[in-house]
Amino acid sequence: MLSRVVLSAAATAAPCLKNPAVLGPGFYISAIATHRVLQATRIFHTGQPSLAPLPPLPEYGGKVRFGLIPEEFFQFLYPKTGVTGPYVLGTGLILYCLSKEIYVISPETFTAISTIGLLVYGIKKYGASVGEFADKLNEQKIAQLEEVKQASIKQIQDAIDMEKSQQALVQKRHYLFDVQRNNIAMALEVTYRERLYRVYKEVKNRLDYHISVQNMMHRKEQEHMINWVEKHVVQSISAQQEKETIAKCIADLKLLAKKAKAQPVL
Amino acid sequence: MNENLFASFITPTIVGIPIVILIIMTPSIIFPSPTRLINNRLTSLQQWLVQLILKQLMSIHNTKGRTWSLMLISLILFIGSTNLLGLLPHSFTPTTQLSMNLGMAISLWAAAVIKGFRHKTKASLAHFLPQGTPIPLIPMLVIIETISLFIQPMALAVRLTANITAGHLLMHLIGGATLVLTSISPATASITFIILTLLTILEFAVALIQAYVFTLLVSLYLHDNT
Repeated sequence: MLSRVVLSAAATAAPCLKNPAVLGPGFYISAIATHRVLQATRIFHTGQPSLAPLPPLPEYGGKVRFGLIPEEFFQFLYPKTGVTGPYVLGTGLILYCLSKEIYVISPETFTAISTIGLLVYGIKKYGASVGEFADKLNEQKIAQLEEVKQASIKQIQDAIDMEKSQQALVQKRHYLFDVQRNNIAMALEVTYRERLYRVYKEVKNRLDYHISVQNMMHRKEQEHMINWVEKHVVQSISAQQEKETIAKCIADLKLLAKKAKAQPVL
Repeated sequence: MNENLFASFITPTIVGIPIVILIIMTPSIIFPSPTRLINNRLTSLQQWLVQLILKQLMSIHNTKGRTWSLMLISLILFIGSTNLLGLLPHSFTPTTQLSMNLGMAISLWAAAVIKGFRHKTKASLAHFLPQGTPIPLIPMLVIIETISLFIQPMALAVRLTANITAGHLLMHLIGGATLVLTSISPATASITFIILTLLTILEFAVALIQAYVFTLLVSLYLHDNT
């Protein structure tokens, strides 16, 4: 966005620089807005950006002795003067400077001794721990990013697993439908049987009614017939016949009574 | 001896060309800017330090005040590094010059005060009268508060200059005493040398503390006026 803004500023300042047809349509609004802000016509990012990754930094600095003089100097003098060469050179130079008063011993010297002494002591004592602290800071940063990455990976993995389990579940879904189908079939069957029974009961009810009506008629007719017969028989017995019958019954009973006297009563 | 005592405070020139600008720009060399995600130790430590200072310093400000973060952080880093580098032998400390400190103090103080007067005129004027003063004292108190307001930049500049200059002078003097005493009696010289060592430790602390105090006070002035 910034480069577009700057290019627009450059374009408005020197229109021959860029072909306006190349630029997009929503451009002039930003150009007008930013021309007030960006008065200088500087074009940033003219060079090619580095496409390849930057070369890695060396992990450790070059080796030094006394914190000042690189090891290469000692190696350089080794063929000619051996191991003690650079030390002798150093001592000689220092003594030369002191004796010729090129370096004057002044109050500054003692200040220098105390300051440099303190610095050397401090660095020797706490240097390694400070370095470790800096390394720990970097490590924390990397660990944080790594954790984010791992969390993201884990999240995606969990999503994949859940997806797989869901797919497996979908395979087994037909059991559900089978059970439901069976249930429905059973319910239908039960309903059918129930209704069938009800129909049977109703029909039987009606037939029973007819039968009981018939029975009742039959009974009524019988009773009526018996009553009619009795009535007529009773009517037919005249008074005189009744007397004769009663006299005969009494005579029979007397006869029987004479016969019965002989046997003991049980 | 007299000339040599203040020799370290002369603005350095090489054959008449003042190189004080170069000396003022020197501490920026030890502050690399982070280029990658994971940097070298120096850059990581600097990042951590800047974050620490930033959190501590800018937590009290509101959004408007936090626009000054870059200014204040660069201020504290500049003063701190300049003071610390000035402790090395035969080095020149720009913060010993009243001119430079006045330049820093007056600009920053004036910016904060004028900002306060522009945006919160009533509140800024109200600072001139503390709450709960008895009525007869009001005129005098307003005058005193005005004086105290205008003395702030002077105090900032002079405080820094005086502290650093005094420290350097004291180290020079005690170093001189040690030098002279070495030929007379080494025992006393060693005592003086121990004093010098302790003083150097103090100077390291003072260098950092002064930077902190300067920045803190500017931040305070800003807080009053945002």
